[in-house]
This record gives sequence, structure tokens and C-alpha cells, in this order.
Amino acid sequence: MDAPNGSDGSGDPNGSGVPDASGPGIVGPAAEVDVPDALADVVDADTGEGELERTIGLTGGLAIGIGTMIGAGIFVFPGLAAENAGPAASLSFAIGAVVALLVALPTSELATAMPRSGGGYFFISRGLGTAPGAIVGLGLWLGLVFASAFYLVGLGSYAGQVFLEAGIALPVDPAVPLGVAFGVGLTALSLFGTENTASLQNGIVMVLLVILTLFLSYGSLDALGVFGTESTPERFFPPGGLLPVLQTAALVFTSYLGFAQVATVAGDIKDPSRNLPLAMVASVLVVGVFYVVTVFVATSAFGSARLGEFGETAMVEVAREFIGFPGAIAIVIAGLLATFSSANASILSASRAVYAVSRDDLIPAAASRINLRYGTPHVALGLAGGPIVVLAATGQVELLAEVASFLHLVMYGLICVALIRLRRERPDWYTPSFRCPAGLAVAGVGAFASFALIAFMQPASIGIGIAVMVAAYGWYRYYGTDVELKGRF
Amino acid sequence: MTDTTPPDDPTRTESDRPAVLVPLEVLEGESLPTGTADLLANAHVVLLGYHVIPEQTAAEQARAQFGEVAMSKLDEFAGTLADAGASVETRLVFTHDEGTTVDRLIYEHDCLAVLVPNSTERVESVLVALRGTVGVGRNTRLVAGLFAESDVEVTLYHALDENESIADGESFLNGVRADLVERGMAPDRIGVVVEDADAAVDAIAGHGESHDAVVMGETDPSVTTFVFGMPSEQVAERFLGPVLVVQRERPEE
Repeated sequence: MDAPNGSDGSGDPNGSGVPDASGPGIVGPAAEVDVPDALADVVDADTGEGELERTIGLTGGLAIGIGTMIGAGIFVFPGLAAENAGPAASLSFAIGAVVALLVALPTSELATAMPRSGGGYFFISRGLGTAPGAIVGLGLWLGLVFASAFYLVGLGSYAGQVFLEAGIALPVDPAVPLGVAFGVGLTALSLFGTENTASLQNGIVMVLLVILTLFLSYGSLDALGVFGTESTPERFFPPGGLLPVLQTAALVFTSYLGFAQVATVAGDIKDPSRNLPLAMVASVLVVGVFYVVTVFVATSAFGSARLGEFGETAMVEVAREFIGFPGAIAIVIAGLLATFSSANASILSASRAVYAVSRDDLIPAAASRINLRYGTPHVALGLAGGPIVVLAATGQVELLAEVASFLHLVMYGLICVALIRLRRERPDWYTPSFRCPAGLAVAGVGAFASFALIAFMQPASIGIGIAVMVAAYGWYRYYGTDVELKGRF
Repeated sequence: MTDTTPPDDPTRTESDRPAVLVPLEVLEGESLPTGTADLLANAHVVLLGYHVIPEQTAAEQARAQFGEVAMSKLDEFAGTLADAGASVETRLVFTHDEGTTVDRLIYEHDCLAVLVPNSTERVESVLVALRGTVGVGRNTRLVAGLFAESDVEVTLYHALDENESIADGESFLNGVRADLVERGMAPDRIGVVVEDADAAVDAIAGHGESHDAVVMGETDPSVTTFVFGMPSEQVAERFLGPVLVVQRERPEE
């Protein structure tokens, strides 16, 4: 909220006028730290309580990023986005990708300086202090709760589509009840399941990328008239001009929330100096391209208004239009997989967010207790799964998506502010092995863009988002004022 | 890290002692089995306490909650091993994948063998199953290092391949025996058995029953690098005593 003017001593956010801000000759301690694993070694060093095995490689990191993101942008939003912004909805997705990249680069730098579980919350609490940390930490937990609920409704829509394709008529729209059921099921699975799900996640992402590449290539060629039926070009910009495009960008930004999830498992990633930045930036680029092409293909198959009528499962109709029944089935399956993996990843991330604030004594330590029998944090998972199921039951897709985006965008903006602050203060411990090119400028624009995007949301979403932040701050005043996190490791 | 090279043994340096990895899932109640300390009295033991956590849980989270308990158990076991004469290093690792961890530690500590920790009442006779000449030097280094200065009886065992004669097998084992003697083992404590067995695993497990511990090689390198690879695992399951799985030479990184 009051973060864009995070000017406590930092003055001009671009740093262009200040000679000693980021001069290449005076990086000091940071100059000597490009030994890739020195960083992980320091974090993992045995402090008398054991060391940590890093088991997630680059592929795993990419699968987390892409798997978390791809569910929403392709399988839930195209219909809604096209209804609001017409073919220019692809521009909305492109704007989202640019904002996400502007944040992903500073996040990468911070993540290589602090490769610990907790992601954005960790960077902000250590870089800016406890109060912003508490707002972001609790906000991240709830932001992920809203995001998971949103994905679950999407998952429910695709599960409902299965009944439609099978010709079974249901008396009510099954999307919400099915979403709730999946929410309960996924929470239980993460509580008691001890199977290795990482390889499953990698497999799902591979299958998805193959299906989507085939479908989008065919669709693009068709839309361009290669197969004879060139589509009638619709007016690119909607009647309202640029405003609906920006509003849509704010709505669909939920499609990009996954890249920072890579940072929440930073503590488990091998060779974090290399793999973290690569996984974050590459996953944003990959899904960004897929989103833009998806909207292009969708809006060339149907008019925007028609797409809007199809709602969350618009892509099924697009596939049916191009390839017929088999295409529809392929997209239903892909949609189930994608929304499932997004929902699952978000529930796990929400539980990790709870752990991160609990570890810092911002909420009672009991919240991060691990159940010895299953080895899972049952309280944290309950604190994630419970509200997710309640929110999914509301079925308010757009509201859920926007509140999730709001809470994440606040965090993203503050991540950029934290980068600027750390680059200026240069504390001894701040020795990132990846340095964001043109760091101050990128972070400055990233912070501005993140906060600006919020302004284009619906008033209801902004209201709920602010209420969550105020509540988080209130909790901090009540419970955590004696906790000092700035620079603590 | 507890480094406890016994001071009363100035002739042995750490590098003489064969490094043996002993993995224990400490928090699952796995403790140092009876007889382990006797078996490894002359070894440099890398005592690995590990805890496998599901992916839903951050490794840091598990360490924060269980690290101290696990470390104190591990130190207790390390004490037992050191009292028997071994030099001990302890490592405690929280991991999502035990295979990765065990493999990494074998590498980092250049371990000759990994112990499949089972208990035994005494250590008086050991069966050493040898497959062929490749890498046999690591077996002899381990066996001589562990048992040259003890009273342990060693039986070398070789199951014949299809086109091998009994004489071939015997000359192979006699070569190994000469090597062991050169490394300080008393010749009268080394027995030799060559056999035409269909299923080597069954045969080794069967012979193992009249011994207190088994030393055998790692699984076929082309298939897997996991320590608990099939044959040694099967032997350990049936034999029920401690099995030392000799590791292949790890390539330089």
C-alpha cells in the first residue's frame, strides 16, 4: 500500500542520479561470490542439527513454475478475458508476462542471496523488516489460499465438462461442488500421502506441453488461413480502448503467480545460484508465449462474445471447432491435469507460507509442527486446506483470482523495493550470486508496474485485499511486535 | 562432526582405515545393531543419520523440529563405535530422497563399502563373496583393513560363471588370498570355497548362515548406483546379518 514510496533513505528509485548506488567498481563483497555452490554450502552447513539434502534440479524447478501457472491462463481465463478485452486480451496476457518478468529478475537475485524456503516473505522480512514481512507472509498464505480456491473452481469446471461430454445431464452446475470435493481430496492427499509426487508433476507438465504445442500449432496455422478457412479478423481493441485491456491484464495476472513458487522451495533446490534464476525466468517466458498464442487461437475461432458465453471451459469449444470431438476430449483431459497440478502446487505452497511465518514466531510455533508418523505439517496443511475449501464453495472465479493477484502483487512490489533497499544498504550478508541486470531500474519499474496493476482491479477485490492486509498488520501489532527479522538468518 | 581417532594407536592413520558408510534412519527408531561396533572396530566409520521427509514438507522444517533429537542419538551411536576402536565421523541429513543422500556421501567420503545394518551376536567368521577380478582390489583392501589385526576367520567364496572351470575359480581365489596375506592377514585364517551355483544370491545367502557377516560387491554398475541394489538387498533380507556392500570406484567428478 504505502510501499511505492518506500523512500526511507532510498530517495530516487531509479538510482540513476546517485553515483554510488550500483557502480560496477564498488560492489564490495558481492564481487567474489560467483562460486556456484558456495552459497548453498553456507545455507546447508551443519549447525549441529543436521544438514539438508537438495533434491530438486532444474527440471523440477521448471515443472513447479510451469505446472503452477499453466492451469489458469489457458484453461480458465481465455473465455473471460476475451469477453472483456476481445482479441486484445492477448495483449493483456503479454502485459502480465512483462510485469512477471520485471519481478522475476529481482526475485532471482534475492533468491540466490537467500535460498531459503519461504520465498518472497523471506526476502521482504529480511530486507525491509518485520512489519512488511508479516503483512506479506500472512498475505502470501491467504493469497495462495485464494489462488488455490480459484484453481479448484477451474478444476471443478473441467470435471463437470466430463459429464457433459459423456452426455450425462446434471440438474445443477457441478463446477463448485466438484471443486470443493477436489479441495478436500487434495488436502487429505497432501496430509497422508507419502508417495513421491515430483515425478508425477514432471510427467503432467510434459504431457500438457505436448498437447498444447500440437493444438496451438494447428490452431495458429488454421487461423492464419493455411487450411483454407481464414477467420474473419475482429477489431483488435475492444470498444473501451486500452482500459479494458489493462483491467483484463489485472484479472489474468493470476496466471503468472507460479514463478515465485519456485522461490518458496528454494531451500530444496540444487545449485540454487544457477537453477533458481533459470527456472523462474524460463517458466514465465514459456507460459507467457503459450498464453498469448492461446488467446490468439481462441479469438480467431470464435467471436469474443461467444467465447465469453462458454466461460471457464471455452478452450474445449475452441478445440471442438478445430479438431472435433477428439480435440475437445484432449483439452478436457489437459484442463483437468493443468488445474489439478496448479491447485495441488498452491495448496503445498500455502502450507509452506504458514511454516515460514511460524518459524519466525509471527504465528504460534504449533502451526508448523510436523506429524512424525506421516512427516507432513498437518496444522499448516489444515490452515491452507480449510479456508481453500470454504472459498472454493463461493464459486466467485473472478473475485478469487483478483484477490489472489492483489495479494501477490503487493508482495512482488515489495520484493522490488527490498532489492532496491538491499542494493543501497549493502549489508554484509547480501552477496547474491546472480545479479539482476540494470537491477535498480528493473526493480523500480517492476515495483511501479506491480502496484499500478492493482489499480485496474474491481473495487470488491481491492477492498478484500486491503482488508486482508489490514488484518495481517493488526495481527502483527497484537502478536509479533517483539520479533525483529531484518537481516536475521 | 565427531572425529574420534583413538590416540592409543599411533601406527594407523585415518587413510589406512577402510571408510565404511553406516546409514541409519535414526528417527524411525533404527539404532546401531548389535555387533556393528565389533565388526567395524578397525574401520573409519562415516555414520550417516538420515530422515526421509515427504515433498510436502520443507527439509528445513523437519530439521528445526527433529534435528537435536536425531543428533543426540547419532552422537550416542558414534560413542559406541569409537569405544570399540573405530574412528567415526557423523553426518545427519534431512532428505527427500535417501538414494541421493547415500550416493553423495559415498562420494564425498570416498567410502569403500556401505553397511546394511543388521545385528549379529559375535564377529568370528566372515563370508566374502567375490564375483570376478574387476575391482577386487577394493574388496581385499576392505577385508584386510577390517580384519587383518583381529582373529576373524575369512571365507572367500566364488560362484562359477558358465564357462569357468573349478580350477579357474580356485586360481582366482588363491590370487585374492595371496593379496590378503600380503596385506597382513594370517594365511590359516583364510578359507576358499568355489562352487557351481545356479543362483548366486541364493547360494551366498545360504552360505552366509554359517557366518556372522557377509562382504559382497555392488549390483551391476550399468543398472543402478543405489547401494541397496537388488542382489545385496536380497542377500541382506534372507541372511539377516550385517552385509558390507563394497562400492565400485567412483569416477572423479
